[in-house]
Amino acid sequence: MKIIGLDSLVFGVESVPDAARFLVDYGLTPVDITASGGRFEALDGTSIEIAHQADPRLPRPPAPGCRLRATVMGVNDTDTLAQIAAELGRDREVRKLTDGSIESVDDSGFVLRFQVTVRRPFSLAGEISNAPGSPFLRPINSLGVPPLGTIIRPRTLSHVVYFVPDVLKAEAFYVNRLGFRCTDRFTGAGPFLQPGGSLDHHTHFLIGAPPHMQGAEHFTFHFGGPSEMIANGYRFAEKGYQSFWGPGRHILGSNWFWYFNSPFGCHIEMDADMDMHDAQWKPREASLGADTSQTFLMKMRPKWSPGPGTPVNGDYA
Amino acid sequence: MPDQDPDSGASASARLCPEAEIVEGAARGFDLGEDGVDTMFVVRTGGVLRGWRNACPHIDGAPMAWRKDAYLNADGSRIVCHAHGAEFLPETGLCVSGPCLGRSLTSVPLTLGVDGFVLAEPRK
Repeated sequence: MKIIGLDSLVFGVESVPDAARFLVDYGLTPVDITASGGRFEALDGTSIEIAHQADPRLPRPPAPGCRLRATVMGVNDTDTLAQIAAELGRDREVRKLTDGSIESVDDSGFVLRFQVTVRRPFSLAGEISNAPGSPFLRPINSLGVPPLGTIIRPRTLSHVVYFVPDVLKAEAFYVNRLGFRCTDRFTGAGPFLQPGGSLDHHTHFLIGAPPHMQGAEHFTFHFGGPSEMIANGYRFAEKGYQSFWGPGRHILGSNWFWYFNSPFGCHIEMDADMDMHDAQWKPREASLGADTSQTFLMKMRPKWSPGPGTPVNGDYA
Repeated sequence: MPDQDPDSGASASARLCPEAEIVEGAARGFDLGEDGVDTMFVVRTGGVLRGWRNACPHIDGAPMAWRKDAYLNADGSRIVCHAHGAEFLPETGLCVSGPCLGRSLTSVPLTLGVDGFVLAEPRK
């Protein structure tokens, strides 16, 4: 049963125009947008879908206050969909939707949909650094910093993080019923999970939390590299969006991160350069803390430069 | 521009903005430390201006808006932390939904200057 990863996340929002502007400023491309909502795509067609929170077409949230209404996962073919439907149908309702996808629920109450993936293959080099001695260098005369104003687009929907009331039960569902494996674990928090059809360090991370916190903690898209991700985050912050944590680089997964507040009742992250693992990988376990969750952390500051016109204390006053 | 950071322990008030600039159901943040993050924000509900530290009780010091000055829900009835969706009553700062249920925002006392400016009082 090979699930490839996330195809889409569906949110119910208070204000469709506000959420739409937020996602466009993040870098996603609006598709089929109306006053009642629409879809915002990354380069490969994975997306965030939004609708007004009162829209009757939205599934019910798993808990009050959770704006995430459905997590859509992609698979390669209809045979896999049938396998998932048969597996989940053993102990819960599985609905066939008109678009060919199937809908059910996980053991924590999150609504899940599965579909033949919308992911479009694309080929676009990521960030390459000119490290002396490296066999992988940028082509001569190509630039590490693209021209000012170059559009930065998220490449693909990366991962979602859930607050769950019973983390062992939640993990068992994904591992035993849907073929995920644990790649690493934060003791006392929860597991990083990778589905059978992905090499990404994680597409899901589960955090044990009290029942009243159940919901999404964050979600994120992969960007083309750390420079691109930080440049995108910097532009985003300059537009008035509020940084929560970052930029920095995680240790488990190695992904660069920058988290922002959002109108989705959870954080939104930008990430880049996540580790890839296969079944040979042996999961690590770490205690959750500042030293184990990042190898370094930086904080945004306004641009300045030393030189003529700089105050005597520079920007350090 | 504010004269003092109310967190600095200094005795002077911080000058925020003309009182009339914050209309009913609106919020505005103030970066008194001038470090790129609002230190506090002011909300007007029921005609009354109230000041709060921009710090969610869930994670000490976590900034709350999702965009500059976006501290409220769509109809202006709740202050919202857009980190994890916690909702607070604008009259009391009490969290009524979300991870810090039952805890409260930290109030920043406000006064009105003779020139019509809102002043944030230093913390005692």
